[in-house]
Amino acid sequence: MQDALLAMLAKEPSYGYHLRTRLRRALGPLGESMNAGQVYVALTRLEKAGLIVSERADGLPERPDRKMYALTPAGQQRVAAWLAEVSWPKPDLADFHLKLTTAAAARLADPVELVAAQRRELMRRLRDAQHAALAEPDDSTAGLLLEGVVLRLQADLRWLAACERAWSGDENRI
Amino acid sequence: MGRVLLIFRLVLADVRRHPTQAVILLISITAATAMLGLGGSLHGATQALYQKTRAATAGPDVVAFAPGTGRTAIKTLTSLEHVPGVLTHSGPYREYYTKLTAHGSTGAAVAQVADMTPGPVDRPLVTSGHWIRPGGVVVERGFATALGVHVGDHVTVAGRSLPVVGIAVTAAHAVYPWAPGIGPGGGPSDGGGLIWLNERDTRALESAADTSVTSFIDLKLRDPGTALAWHRNPAVTSAIGDRWVNVRAWQLIAEQDSLMLKGSQPILVIGSWLLAFLAIAGVATLAAGRAARQTRRVGLLKAVGATPGLIAAVLLTEYLTLALLADALGLITARLIQPAIINPSAGLITTATGPTGTTIAVTTVVALGVAALTSLGPVVRALRTETVAALADTAHRPQHRAHLTRLSALLPTPLLLGLRLIARRPGRAVLHACDTAATLTTITGLLMIYAQPAKGYPGSSMANHLRDAQEHHVILAVTAALVALAAINTVTITWTTAQDARPTMAIARTLGATPGQITAGLSAAQLLPTLPGALAGIPLGIILCLPFSTANTTWPPAWSLLGAALAALPATAALTAVPARVAAHRSVAHTLSAEAT
Amino acid sequence: MDESGDVLRVRDLYKEHGHHESLVRAVDGIDLDVPTGQMLAVMGPSGCGKSTLLHLLGGLERPTDGEVWLAGRRIDTISERGLARLRRRAVGFVFQAFHLVEELSAAENVELPVLLAGGSPRAARRRAALLLERFGLADRARHLPWQLSGGQRQRVAIARAVANRPHVLLADEPTGNLDTTATLDVLRVFEDLRAAGQTLVIVTHDERVAATADRLISMRDGMFVDDTRLAGSTTGRLDGLIRLED
Repeated sequence: MQDALLAMLAKEPSYGYHLRTRLRRALGPLGESMNAGQVYVALTRLEKAGLIVSERADGLPERPDRKMYALTPAGQQRVAAWLAEVSWPKPDLADFHLKLTTAAAARLADPVELVAAQRRELMRRLRDAQHAALAEPDDSTAGLLLEGVVLRLQADLRWLAACERAWSGDENRI
Repeated sequence: MGRVLLIFRLVLADVRRHPTQAVILLISITAATAMLGLGGSLHGATQALYQKTRAATAGPDVVAFAPGTGRTAIKTLTSLEHVPGVLTHSGPYREYYTKLTAHGSTGAAVAQVADMTPGPVDRPLVTSGHWIRPGGVVVERGFATALGVHVGDHVTVAGRSLPVVGIAVTAAHAVYPWAPGIGPGGGPSDGGGLIWLNERDTRALESAADTSVTSFIDLKLRDPGTALAWHRNPAVTSAIGDRWVNVRAWQLIAEQDSLMLKGSQPILVIGSWLLAFLAIAGVATLAAGRAARQTRRVGLLKAVGATPGLIAAVLLTEYLTLALLADALGLITARLIQPAIINPSAGLITTATGPTGTTIAVTTVVALGVAALTSLGPVVRALRTETVAALADTAHRPQHRAHLTRLSALLPTPLLLGLRLIARRPGRAVLHACDTAATLTTITGLLMIYAQPAKGYPGSSMANHLRDAQEHHVILAVTAALVALAAINTVTITWTTAQDARPTMAIARTLGATPGQITAGLSAAQLLPTLPGALAGIPLGIILCLPFSTANTTWPPAWSLLGAALAALPATAALTAVPARVAAHRSVAHTLSAEAT
Repeated sequence: MDESGDVLRVRDLYKEHGHHESLVRAVDGIDLDVPTGQMLAVMGPSGCGKSTLLHLLGGLERPTDGEVWLAGRRIDTISERGLARLRRRAVGFVFQAFHLVEELSAAENVELPVLLAGGSPRAARRRAALLLERFGLADRARHLPWQLSGGQRQRVAIARAVANRPHVLLADEPTGNLDTTATLDVLRVFEDLRAAGQTLVIVTHDERVAATADRLISMRDGMFVDDTRLAGSTTGRLDGLIRLED
């Protein structure tokens, strides 16, 4: 989120309130749950790191927290580096995979049952995401994020189906 | 070599996969070529048989008749032996014009007195039993067939019952019922048959009151081609002088023999064209029905790299091979049926007279033409379709016929389904109408012929019956073939429609149409074009009969024609019911899942 | 309707295909109750018998053994005619391959079941126009199926399936041939129908279609292996779906 805030400031300085609104719009329904304080915590950290500077705005004494944020040269460098970066979140499946193997080896639980429970949980998440996606108009940018979430969940569910097939085929395999 | 093998493998696989279609194709073309072969070989066929009989029996080139058995008559006939150009002779003999009774029926007969060993000219060929002996007669085969007489039976001549000891054929007399020739008085005579008997057995005939007698001599000429003009030969005219002698050349006998066929030939020719038309209609239906599947098959072949030439070869080879096979079958059939038609009175030798080269050429051209014409369109269309489109079968995008569809919305369900089926493939409805029209055309012709009053030979109703029966059995055979082919076509059209409409019908069933409604719908799709087709067939039949009609032609009553047209409806309904029912009861789930893949 | 409010009730259902060695139990002892208005999804690997189950529920196939009750009426014993009449009014089918009548326009396809059920042409036209409008296809009414996109075709098929307001809509892989956008269009139509109280049974292997259902049944080898209630069990909130690093 910090990087996104920096990128938003790259064009022109902005108020914290505006930054929060723009972030929420980009995230769509997924952004609605975002904590209001989250943005300000991030901005404070960025300021401390010397990537942005802030300046209290004048003429609005009834809203003393109204600050105008701007990028420092270090911040500009950071934005450029962020855009060039190609890192990607790694799939986090090893944990569940180990859960299944160890549970089966120690006969702590039926892996098939574990898979089924996990599946139910993911289905519920998928349901929420899917309903949100259906509510979005076709051309919405935020809908794309939801689509990504849905596809991720779908991929996970298919992996679970593969796990279920494998573990129900041979109970004793480790 | 590999390519030829591939072509034949593909053709064989297709035939094996759709054997019924191959069989229908075969039957349709076989019927047409058989009829065509028959019509073609009829011309001159009897002549050929006569020639054969003439050769086998040492038939005379000329027969000279003189009335009575007086000395002058005998002397005049004997003098003809010495006319220059006469090689050899038999006779003179006598023949009696009398009546013969066998198995209770009586007919006119010529009783020819014969030697125990026939002379060098006219040696009748005994086909069963043996030659005459005192107290035993030989009956000419055509006459025997008409009377139902066999060796060992008895016939009554001039009040005397004589056993039949043999059956024989001859070229000296025209076949039954024209054996009496120009008769004892030299004028027209009744129809009748021929028997041979021994001198001794003629005594009763001599004394019979209603019997007349003629003497005659059989002559063999050096040049048989001159027989027709022989009686104008000066040597002959001077030998005869002013005495009464009738001379008959062999060509006249041959012509008389083929007369009986004259009535049936137009029937066969027109019939064969109608059959050929039905065959085209049937084959076209098949080809059209298979086109959709073929387009997909072509797409597959193209996808694996087959050239258009190879694909055309595969598709055409199948039809052309089947057509050639059908052609051969048709010619064989014609050859087997031929003797019964060209030798109606069995009075001639019926050894094989195969179809002539021209006939073979004509039937082959027609068979190949039918196959090529009907399959060429789909083949070209299939080849032109883009590979991907062919695989997806987008080439057969149905047309939207809004009016017909809107109209059908007002009708009860079966008619609604039927009309929408017609809207799907209107060409097939037209084909079916043509089919019905061709059938009704023949039936009209049949009714016309049955409506004619019996005419012909006074005094010998038996002979009349034979001739009428001859014409009628030819017409019946033609009609039976036509009706059978029309029936096959109707079933084929229903079946292809059902195949085509399978997914649509399955959808209709998921929407709640009952199998009964589907069956009725499929039948309705065939029935609707039947009525206009049937009604068009009647005037067509009458027009086809016009060239053969005369001022006193009797027209069949209108109600019988209309009745025939209306009868086409229940007949079609009955024919379509079975394939429609089978198609309608197929599993919906199965059809739809097959469609989806 | 049943007193229990179940529009579909299945007891001890079996369906076998083939004979002897090649005998396949496509449906192997299933009990099922579907309350009115429920959207039920059935998932499972291909060949698990889910399509066969759907055919049995709609009377397209007859069970080898067991009972199928639809709207309070036992349907596995009635005649072929009776089944046809039942399909006209009580059941709507939607297929993966759309199965539209290719030579009829979109509107005419939707009119077809109304006409089959004896409705007047006017009533059929009105109903078709209404449904196509509702499913966002008003401007496609006169198009032939091949002129429509996959999603549009499937929506026409759904409109046709619900033309006679059936007790239950049975859908077999309705999105199997569709891309993401078209799938969303179809799912929106299903949502619309569900909101209007339509009972739906959807056989699918697409998780996102299944996820929109109220209830999810997993099938394997002709048997139910899981039956999860999705409706009401979710938070409806999206907090947990993405992680936004500070």
